[in-house]
Amino acid sequence: MKKLLASTILAAGLYALAGSAQAAECGEVSIAEMNWASAGVAAQVDKFILENGYGCTVTLVTGDTMPTFASMNEKAQPDMAPELWVNAVRTPLDAAIKEGRLIEAAKILSEGGVEGWWIPKFLADAHPDIKTVQDALKHPELFPAPEDSSKAAVHNCPSGWNCQVSTANLYKALDAEKAGFLLVDTGSAAGLDGSIANAFEKKTGWLGYYWAPTAILGKYEMTRLSFGVDHDKAEWDACTAVPDCPAPKVNSYPVSDVFTVVTKSFADKASVAMDYVKARKWDNGTVNKVLAWMDQNQGTNEDAAKHFLAEFPDMWTQWVSPEVAEKVKAAL
Amino acid sequence: MASICSVLPALLCKFPAIDESTIRLARKTVDDGFKGFVRSYGNAIDTVVQPLQWFLNYLESLFVGSPWIVILALMIAVVYFGSRNIAITIGTALSMIFIGLVGLWNDTMITLAMVTVCTLISILIGIPIGILMARSDRVQAFVNPALDVMQTMPSFVYLIPVVMVFGIGKVPGLIAVVIYAVPPMIRLTNLGIRLVDKEVLEAADAFGSSGWQKLKNVQMPLALPTIMAGINQTIMMSLAMVVVASMIGVGGLGKNVLQAIANQFFTVGFLNGFALVGIAIIFDRTSQAFGKRLQKHSEVIHG
Repeated sequence: MKKLLASTILAAGLYALAGSAQAAECGEVSIAEMNWASAGVAAQVDKFILENGYGCTVTLVTGDTMPTFASMNEKAQPDMAPELWVNAVRTPLDAAIKEGRLIEAAKILSEGGVEGWWIPKFLADAHPDIKTVQDALKHPELFPAPEDSSKAAVHNCPSGWNCQVSTANLYKALDAEKAGFLLVDTGSAAGLDGSIANAFEKKTGWLGYYWAPTAILGKYEMTRLSFGVDHDKAEWDACTAVPDCPAPKVNSYPVSDVFTVVTKSFADKASVAMDYVKARKWDNGTVNKVLAWMDQNQGTNEDAAKHFLAEFPDMWTQWVSPEVAEKVKAAL
Repeated sequence: MASICSVLPALLCKFPAIDESTIRLARKTVDDGFKGFVRSYGNAIDTVVQPLQWFLNYLESLFVGSPWIVILALMIAVVYFGSRNIAITIGTALSMIFIGLVGLWNDTMITLAMVTVCTLISILIGIPIGILMARSDRVQAFVNPALDVMQTMPSFVYLIPVVMVFGIGKVPGLIAVVIYAVPPMIRLTNLGIRLVDKEVLEAADAFGSSGWQKLKNVQMPLALPTIMAGINQTIMMSLAMVVVASMIGVGGLGKNVLQAIANQFFTVGFLNGFALVGIAIIFDRTSQAFGKRLQKHSEVIHG
């Protein structure tokens, strides 16, 4: 019995040594798995490549834009946010980059994130005259409010997201209230998604804020309406994105910059992987394809990440060196 | 991987799970079935719950649209005549005035309307089910697991289908809150009635009481303290769920709490949180004092 115990301890010790030797080239890193699909898949892709290609030990922590950024900024935890929509945190992020606490890596969504007001495609096909937001506001009867079908609704983005401010200001600028539209607070990402799913399953109209790339847009085809004006950055920063701006003007949403952000300690611990983190980017078409597959197959983020690695090798092998690519392929 | 797995057969180390694709197919089938259900019956269900939606809208606009002084006077009157207790009445007035001063009056009214309806519905559903459970062990064996599910199932699991059927707003919010808040009402009603002394019931039988008389004149009065505890728990749980209900488009204090969480505004979060606490305490003390007055036998000790 003693012998067995001793050999077990020895084996465990050797095993631990082997583990630490492997991890010497790349330490333990934590990655934020954000609570929306594209970022969740990105986190799982990173986990797979960092673990199998670079020998890191990766833990995933659930995240959301504001809390994750605050935690990275104040506590340097988690080490990496694969898909951070930086418009929401531009000022503190710039300060943190200047002080060297955070590092802006790849522009993960190479085309940027697209935001705007959308309507279901079946509605756009049935009413070809609706091309702009202003056209949609002429038809309050097409967009019944969720709690009172005698009124129309613009579905706002969830409480506390910074798109809530811009959407509310545009609603005010467009005089949507006079047109008979309420501004409906959807409460959360789940509420916003649910209201779209509800509209599609019942084939009623829906008008509101959404963004791409997202699983919902892979699942339900929507058409983005133009605001009839170009994006005016000065006006956007001075008023459209400012809460309680007194006289907002009609403006278009900017294309959002979406970056991978890592902490200084990630660069120290996982320096071998820094090239990968700086090179990894994908286009909205690919992301939408992966998300649509995920939805059709009821897959988890992890399933979708493996699907991406299996189906799009031409894309991801450009992010890593050939020997790393071999290791990742072997693990698939 | 623990080193022990290198010597054991794989079957003992890795649980033999059902094949991935089979599970996926099952998930897909269930989801598609549900979507089909929404497509076929969504509009019919909407028509059925329309009166509830109107009632909730009406109540909210009544609370929000009335002058604050009228609402405050009404609240004070209700609290006083319910509790007949000056301290509770003054406490109510002070906390409502404080809520008004920090600019949360309207949000509080929205939440108050919601919680009032939720609590009343929970009591109306909970007490009859609790009585049925107390009368039959078979019903109890059947209802108990259902209550366990209602209290432990993460609310978003059933909120997603509920939102798909009803859209966002007060109706799905009400459903979510009631599912969470009704179990303590049912459990404690059941418990209170079951704990009534056997000898007391035998005496009632000896005097030739009918079943209804026994329930009305013996069991319910003696179970009242426990039932009041159930009502208290229901109120507390309704208020706790209001924040979650805000995640599917119910306005009020919960919405501010969510916003505060997302933006890390501590003060806003605490102010709204304390407004919820204030309402909870008002509801609770009033209902407890009212229950005590109803119960002229509060010195009865359950054997």
